[in-house]
Amino acid sequence: MIIILIIGVVLGIVLGLYIPIVPQAYVKLLSVALMASLDTVFGGIRAVKEGCYDSQVFISGFFVNGIFAAFLCYCGIRLGIDLYYVAVLAFGLRIFDNIAIIRRLYLKK
Amino acid sequence: MLKGKQAKILLFIVCVILGTMLSTQFRSAEQARNTIAQERAENLVEKLKAAEKENKIMAEKVKKMEDKSGNEALAKEIQNLKSKAGEIPMTGPGIQVTVDDSKVVHKPGENPNLYIIHDDDLLRLINELRAAGAEAISINKERLLDVSEIRCAGPTVSVNNNRFSPPYIIVAIGKPETLDSALRLRGGVIETLKFWGISVEVEKSDKLTVPAFKGTRHYEYAKPQISSKEGETK
Repeated sequence: MIIILIIGVVLGIVLGLYIPIVPQAYVKLLSVALMASLDTVFGGIRAVKEGCYDSQVFISGFFVNGIFAAFLCYCGIRLGIDLYYVAVLAFGLRIFDNIAIIRRLYLKK
Repeated sequence: MLKGKQAKILLFIVCVILGTMLSTQFRSAEQARNTIAQERAENLVEKLKAAEKENKIMAEKVKKMEDKSGNEALAKEIQNLKSKAGEIPMTGPGIQVTVDDSKVVHKPGENPNLYIIHDDDLLRLINELRAAGAEAISINKERLLDVSEIRCAGPTVSVNNNRFSPPYIIVAIGKPETLDSALRLRGGVIETLKFWGISVEVEKSDKLTVPAFKGTRHYEYAKPQISSKEGETK
């Protein structure tokens, strides 16, 4: 299972090298979406470790979080509010939290 | 809960999307880093090249036109006017004055401004040289003409819109002895400056060169008054 996932990521990276680059104006949106997605992924790993993983929650969370984060950031740009930094900060904090918990769960085993 | 196979496929898609986002983001970040600095520099270089090219073409045009006129008297007149307008480098005997900031360590509580050269010091030097009959003057290779300014620009002095920092080298073409003694008058410029320790070195020379005026002059407001009778112009 893990191998399949790794292959998927590698395939995605290779694919990303060939598709056109996002225009400068939208780089911030993509980066927020990426942070949200990463947050979901780490949350998912944590859930697996805790034994309460639900693929439906994970997959829906992955897409909805990413899209919604980008949308919020877009609204922020339109309104002149730097929601970008807020989103990056919040997701960054959560990712670190999740990593810490994952680490503990691994060590406990 | 989704069924096993379906969940796996969806997870795989999620991973592919994650990887794509990662590498796209990486690439656009890389590009952003390169472009902002580079694009500007490249742009400027291109503009500079274009301007230089245009300048060259124009200079050639001018030369061609001058040659075309053919008339020797006219060419002579042009040369004469050009040298009067400061568009030709001038050479001849004169003096070279090197002015540098004071090396004296000023006492605490004293105004350090007194020990450095200011625009008005240079102006006084130039004024003295002009009064002594200097025919062509330059500061740090910038020809001084009627349109040239000598102006304080922070720690530097701006001449012909170019900024210079000490030492300032003033070249004046004229009778070396007269120019030299004009500066060395008792109570004159050099004596005043020496008091503050500002070094002024005067060197007489038989052959000095004053470069041509590199800037341009254009009249936006001033227009020549054309009148039929000479006496009418006041």
